[in-house]
Amino acid sequence: MDDIKNRKILIVDDERDIRNMIDGFLRKEGFTRIYHASGCAEALSVCTSVKPDIAILDVMLPDGDGFALLSSLRQITNMPVLFLSARGEDEDRLLDLGLGADDYIVKPFLPRELILRLMAILRRVYSPPRQAQLSVFRLGKRVIDLEGSLVRHESAEYPLTAKEHALLLKLYENRNRIVTSDALCQAAWNDDYYGYENTLMVHIRRIREKIEDDPSSPEYLLTVRGLGYKLIVRE
Amino acid sequence: MIDIESTVRILRRFTNATIIISISLLIINFVLLGIFVFKGTNTGQPPGSVVREVAESLHASNGIYSLAPAAEDILAKNHAWAMLIDSTGSVVWHYMAPAELPERYSLADVARFTRSYLMDYPVFVWEHSEGLVVVGYPRGSLAKYMQIYPTSWVSSLPLKLVSLIVINITLALLLSLFIGSRLIRSIRPLTQGIEDLAEDRAVYIEPKGILSNLAQSVNRASALLQQKNESLKKRDEARSNWIAVISHDIRTPLSMILGYASDLEENSAVPAEQRKQAGIIRQQAEKLRALVHDLNLVSMLEYEMQPVDKKPIRLSALARQIASDFLNQGLDERFQLEMEVLDEKALVSGDERLLTRAISNLIQNSINHNPDGCRIQLIISSDEGNKTCRFIVADDGKGVPPDQLSDLLELPYSNKRKHARKNGHGLGLPMVARIARAHQGCLHLYSDTGKGFKAEVVLPAIVSD
Repeated sequence: MDDIKNRKILIVDDERDIRNMIDGFLRKEGFTRIYHASGCAEALSVCTSVKPDIAILDVMLPDGDGFALLSSLRQITNMPVLFLSARGEDEDRLLDLGLGADDYIVKPFLPRELILRLMAILRRVYSPPRQAQLSVFRLGKRVIDLEGSLVRHESAEYPLTAKEHALLLKLYENRNRIVTSDALCQAAWNDDYYGYENTLMVHIRRIREKIEDDPSSPEYLLTVRGLGYKLIVRE
Repeated sequence: MIDIESTVRILRRFTNATIIISISLLIINFVLLGIFVFKGTNTGQPPGSVVREVAESLHASNGIYSLAPAAEDILAKNHAWAMLIDSTGSVVWHYMAPAELPERYSLADVARFTRSYLMDYPVFVWEHSEGLVVVGYPRGSLAKYMQIYPTSWVSSLPLKLVSLIVINITLALLLSLFIGSRLIRSIRPLTQGIEDLAEDRAVYIEPKGILSNLAQSVNRASALLQQKNESLKKRDEARSNWIAVISHDIRTPLSMILGYASDLEENSAVPAEQRKQAGIIRQQAEKLRALVHDLNLVSMLEYEMQPVDKKPIRLSALARQIASDFLNQGLDERFQLEMEVLDEKALVSGDERLLTRAISNLIQNSINHNPDGCRIQLIISSDEGNKTCRFIVADDGKGVPPDQLSDLLELPYSNKRKHARKNGHGLGLPMVARIARAHQGCLHLYSDTGKGFKAEVVLPAIVSD
């Protein structure tokens, strides 16, 4: 963790007040190596001299826009970039252009949001890759092991099929929230998901048989009439 | 450009009109001629019957001739005279015959005056048991013509008359085609120009021919329209730029307010009371942020500057997602959200974010205006007839008087609004209407006080097979 706080952060924004505010929040979080730039030219020179680990770029800059700056930056460095976007319509450009922006945040933003996104990028890019571990969770007396793709109950093990696994994973990722049947079909059958509603019902019933005490009056995997399903997980 | 079809249509009308006009002229002429001939030649009794009547009512008894009084009356009325020439050529009786006439006539004389005139008197003859009755009319009162036709000519007369009429009609037809096509040729640049005007293109038509005045008017109208368009465009651009700049410039100070207020709110060193106040500042700043965002979106839509990223969207899936989002965000129990999907396959081409925004606005609207709770229905249906899909959001809440419905689609503070807005920032429904319009669709509102509120977004459907 402290390794992350040690990273060098470059803030590029033409408004000094904004830079100072972000600077303040970052310092409060424990970051110390923070550099400022007010425009593209300055940003490029800072990049060559201090080689920051991550940049926060404003889209609108006095001497060119953030997209152009990112293109020039990419010539010299591969550091991750978090965009500060002023307008909603920039989102499309940010995501579609494939410029290699790692994330964006729309101005005005809450400091907590900014810090969270920044930390997430730093962790993703610089932390040693952890073994991606799928969850193991408990539903009443049963343990659902998504990593091992099975349900344990009273020392017996019930394997999950690929579709059941995909559905349970989607439901668990959105636990305690409604997941629409469309989203579930898409998770299990990918893009071409229309027309699988009946098949979905069959799979849901099979999952209930494995995870519910009484599959006909479910306790954990609930039907939300007309919308979809909801997995209740008490943590 | 006048297409072939309309050219043919115009020409057909033109020639039809010409044919009708020439046929009716022909008929009128015939009728008038007939009346004229009939009236002009039939003033009183025809000479043929006068002479016949005189001959029949002239009787001889013992060498004395007497004319019946009725015949005398006829002669007197016609200012005519009569005489009887016997077989030797002597005049044996006369009535009012001019004195200058000779007493005897040779066979040649008789033949001559039978054919033409007797001393310039138009005369007519009729045979009589005693000789030849001659009736003479005053000089210059009648014209005599001998008409002699070959029989072949007479028998072909009907055919000739018919072909005359046919030739007439054909000529009229050709003439009208000629005039019509010339007219069309001279109108064509004009119609082209007017069509261009309608499609908002710059127009210049060479003013020549009989319609040069019209061409000049069209040119003037075009110039005027271009000028108006130009200034409208400039104004629109200025307005949307202004809004974009304002909303951009608001973001920086708003970022600071939001940032520092939320920092204070979360700062444990700050007393609870002040943290609460900082929280209020943060909430208000967030409201302002939403307002700026909405204002920007509405003005971008208004000036058609909002990019619409279209892809096929199944409305039923969209509805389920939006309803789930509302429920997942903890919709108050006073509100019941119900789904009614009449056409699971209803598919539109749309921008998912904009459509989600529109439907969410409608649902939020029902929630905001019915604080005591209500039932909100989401209905998806499609109309195969006119290839549209409907997304209906209906509640059973307080509703709105019908006369205020049109106001709800106008932007707040627009002079088209008859009533001042009551609550909310008033951008919600105008935004929905503009999002619908950006998708070539429309928004219909139905409501009455106490009868709930129903909003219907109609969108063109993608017809799938």
